[in-house]
Amino acid sequence: MLPYLLRRTLLLAASLLLASAVLFVLLRLLPGDPANALLSVGATPEQIAAVRREIGSDRPLTEQFLSWLGRMAVLDLGTSFVSDLPVGPEISARLVVTVPLTLLAFTVSLLVAVPVGFVAAHRPRSWYGALLNGVSQLGVAVPVFWIGMLLATVFSLHLRWLPAGGFPQDDWADPAGALASLALPVATVALVMSASLIRYVRSAALDVLDSDYLRTARALGCSLPGAMWRHGLRNAAVPVVSVLGLELATTFLGAVVVESVFALPGLGSMLVRAFAQHDYPVIQGVLVVGTLAVLLAGLLADTAQRIIDPRLRDTAGGGRW
Amino acid sequence: MASAPRERGPGTKRRVRSRTLAAGCALVGAVALTALVSLVWLPYDPADTSGGRLAPPGAAHPLGTDRLGRDLLTQVMIGARIALAAGLGATAVGGVLGVAAGLAGGFATRWLDDAFAVLSDILIAFPVLLLAMLMVAARQASLGPAILAIGLAMSVTVARLTRILVKRVLAQDFITAARTSGTSWPRITVEHVLPNIWPTLLVSLALHLGVAVLAEATLSYLGLGAAPPNASWGRMLREAQTTAFTAPVGVIAPGVLLAVLVVGANLVADGVRDVADPARRRS
Amino acid sequence: MKTPKKCLIGLVVGLVFTLASCGLEQASAGAPPGEATIGVGSMYEPQNLDNAGGGGQGATEALTGNVYEGLFRLTDEGRVENLLAESHTVSPDGLTYTFRIRDGVTFHSGAPLTPDDVAHSIRRVTAAASTSSRRGTLDMIESIAGSGRDTVVVKLSSRSISFVYNLSQVWIVNDAHEDLSASEDGTGPYRLGTWKRGSSLSLDRFDGYWGRKAANARVVFRYFTDASALNNALLTGAVDVVTGMQSPDALALFDGDPGYRISNGKSTTKLLLAFNNRRAPFDRMLVRRAVSSAIDERKLLDSIWNGYGSMIGSMVPPTDPWYEDLTHVNPYDVELARRQLAEAGYPRGFTFTLDTPTYDPHPTVAAFVKSELAKIGITVEINMVTADEWYTKVYRNHDFTATLQEHVNDRDVRWYGDPGFYWGYDNPQVAREVKRAERAGTVEEQTALLRKVGRRIAEDAASNWLFLYPQIVIGSSGVSGYPVNGLNAQFYVYDIVKR
Repeated sequence: MLPYLLRRTLLLAASLLLASAVLFVLLRLLPGDPANALLSVGATPEQIAAVRREIGSDRPLTEQFLSWLGRMAVLDLGTSFVSDLPVGPEISARLVVTVPLTLLAFTVSLLVAVPVGFVAAHRPRSWYGALLNGVSQLGVAVPVFWIGMLLATVFSLHLRWLPAGGFPQDDWADPAGALASLALPVATVALVMSASLIRYVRSAALDVLDSDYLRTARALGCSLPGAMWRHGLRNAAVPVVSVLGLELATTFLGAVVVESVFALPGLGSMLVRAFAQHDYPVIQGVLVVGTLAVLLAGLLADTAQRIIDPRLRDTAGGGRW
Repeated sequence: MASAPRERGPGTKRRVRSRTLAAGCALVGAVALTALVSLVWLPYDPADTSGGRLAPPGAAHPLGTDRLGRDLLTQVMIGARIALAAGLGATAVGGVLGVAAGLAGGFATRWLDDAFAVLSDILIAFPVLLLAMLMVAARQASLGPAILAIGLAMSVTVARLTRILVKRVLAQDFITAARTSGTSWPRITVEHVLPNIWPTLLVSLALHLGVAVLAEATLSYLGLGAAPPNASWGRMLREAQTTAFTAPVGVIAPGVLLAVLVVGANLVADGVRDVADPARRRS
Repeated sequence: MKTPKKCLIGLVVGLVFTLASCGLEQASAGAPPGEATIGVGSMYEPQNLDNAGGGGQGATEALTGNVYEGLFRLTDEGRVENLLAESHTVSPDGLTYTFRIRDGVTFHSGAPLTPDDVAHSIRRVTAAASTSSRRGTLDMIESIAGSGRDTVVVKLSSRSISFVYNLSQVWIVNDAHEDLSASEDGTGPYRLGTWKRGSSLSLDRFDGYWGRKAANARVVFRYFTDASALNNALLTGAVDVVTGMQSPDALALFDGDPGYRISNGKSTTKLLLAFNNRRAPFDRMLVRRAVSSAIDERKLLDSIWNGYGSMIGSMVPPTDPWYEDLTHVNPYDVELARRQLAEAGYPRGFTFTLDTPTYDPHPTVAAFVKSELAKIGITVEINMVTADEWYTKVYRNHDFTATLQEHVNDRDVRWYGDPGFYWGYDNPQVAREVKRAERAGTVEEQTALLRKVGRRIAEDAASNWLFLYPQIVIGSSGVSGYPVNGLNAQFYVYDIVKR
């Protein structure tokens, strides 16, 4: 296990470095000029040149990259072109929103998807099996912003139960207020996520229910829930856990979109705004942090898979597969 | 349906499963038919603004009109065209590039393969939409670049899947047998590899079609997709959002049609899996 | 198997709604009048806190008049009155301004206001590195000098009739304060509380203020990127007043509800169909006039704003002193448009590309323009551009044929006197009149000249001014004292009270 983890960690570091380089080049190759975001109608050519000099977008690409990398090494993500404020502290300030949103949504979707997926698999052709299957089909088929719009209309406009957007000024100093602000966004993301997770759980559970070992266990007098608990769960977990890493990444993406719908000050709204303004240091900072999170999630998922399924531990090879 | 026999006869099961496929085809077909009809006939000229501002659904305008007085049904029909074009176009781009790259990776030497694995690991860390946004954001917003961007982003996952599938097939005994009997790699690809991986690929491509349609809608919603007056469903949602209280049909109709198309594509994927996967058919 | 599932769903639902009931009430309803917290909803978050360093419209909205003050204040009615200047005199040649600064003013840091602070503040705007859009209006300044305890002398290289008006947009900052992009040191009735980027900015009453203290204790600006989210915030009581409503249809929710008050104020934001006057076919005046006559602006305005907003026949909004109603110059008349087009040599029309910003309402307007111009045989190809691309392609490189753009500032008819401006309107007579107006000896002379400019550009159809945006402010009925016009994006909050 230890050599495996070591190898994977090295791979992760290499991946992150490569991702930063790819990102850097990709961003700088895009047309558009970050100086634009600082200007307004009426700007003169001298003003434009002054801005470009100040943010350094007139220097050669390699020079920009090396200086960025050098600062990265000491965990300095640079300064925003637009606000002239350091990127790192702002990212950590916004993680306070995005991390709870992502993790809560992820947890809720797991809590919903696992039991529902099993129930749906138990009698796939019963009315509730069909219904649950149908609902999950529908859940993955509608855009996440649409669900957000509907939930906001029903729960905050008509019922007035929850705030429709925003986040408390003093963050988590008032936990109830913060949680209330996150309730609808979490529900939105969790709905979509659980819909897609249910499909994985259901198909994994179907495989287990069809398996010989489960039939044997039942023939030996085990109740269905008992047999499921003792033999089925672990087997069904393997394929599900393998997609969790990616699902977590997707949850993060859902959070990005949902933050815009509910006006939450998280990484997502930061990214969307930075895109519009060509604020390269911000885009880069957010995406590097996001990539790191996704790679870590992948590592976790793979490791968990190995713990659950001993057969995988013997397989050789350095790749993920 | 509730009184249908419950025993698990193989015949019943297959019929149920092909019903999934049929339902999926019907849903996708309905959207495709709408798109085809829109090519030869539309209730109104899409540029006709004579309908009056936000007219409610009625005899003249079955779905009502938008802020500019344009017929909503006309726009929704044109939207079907764009959604399908985006879905099929992006899936074609992603499919061709992804399968080619995946095959290359699957057959590659150990060293190249590792590099390939690392690269796709990195790329997969950016979700489809983000990558597409990155590519479209600064370029001019229009349908072509959006489709290309979604397709490119999608090719990463397709390549990854193809590579795994190819590896799995290549590890089997009959390939070794074919190799020892002197069959060339291209022939092995055509005769053994592709026939063994296509059902899974087809399922994945059908699922990707739905993802592509949603991605296009989201890009258009963010103002980065098809240019007006082309009525992409995502753009219609964006424009109708502010009038949702006075004219809810504008928000509901495009959303429902999006769901119909994507559910259809997913059902097709499920149906193909059930029909083609021998392991599933067995039970 | 059924029961646990039900329990779980119940648990999740229950959890969500328990949270709900705790967190909804944030607005301080029960506070005594002077101690209230006012929530203000806005679409314009500052990019940073420095209006001379790229802070944008949001920095002006939240900070001008509230945290920072100028020598003069532009009131909500458009009058200029003394603020930090006690009085000023102008030399007979109009080139020397002498300002006397108010006594006893201190910055939030406690430092007293000195003439050097004033000189430093003006230089910040006119400096080469400044990104202030006001820089061009102050480029006739030759020297600034503080003298004595309370006097500042500014020398100009040419007369500038709008000088005092333009100074009302210049923040007076403490010259010892280094970083204005994330912190402040102004003289206003509020000091900056916290700025939570992407979400909100709070202002706390400054008890050492030199003048009348603010009527409330705290103001929280909450920022939204989406008009419907903003409406929702007002409906659910998360904010008390919304600075500029962007969707008329949401008004239906508030209209007729005694819980809200809608004010329809005066705006300076104009939506332009701007032609590239350098490029064929829009280098021909007849073509521009034909296009202007072929578009039914009234119908467009009603479609977008549903009865709010107004028609405008030229660049000058009604709040500028030189406004005159010019909507009759290019009336909506499709037959006339056809004749003009034929006379210009395009009897069967032509095709052109319309560069359209991706954000609302431009795409909708572009679709409307396309369908209107189709009637006279002109084909419009819509090309969507991001805000960033617009600045590069249209604004800087002049690489466009026609574009849509909103112009937010007041008194901006002067851009038609600059042939280098993006729309390339080159009329020497107009250029001369704009220059002479700025150097005019009296306001009457200035007004007469600029009125002439407004008429001339309308007759030339230099651009097609589609409509003037409405300025809609909505507040809960218990809240009063907020500005309704928001000229130049200002939003003075110090008089707002909550019952």
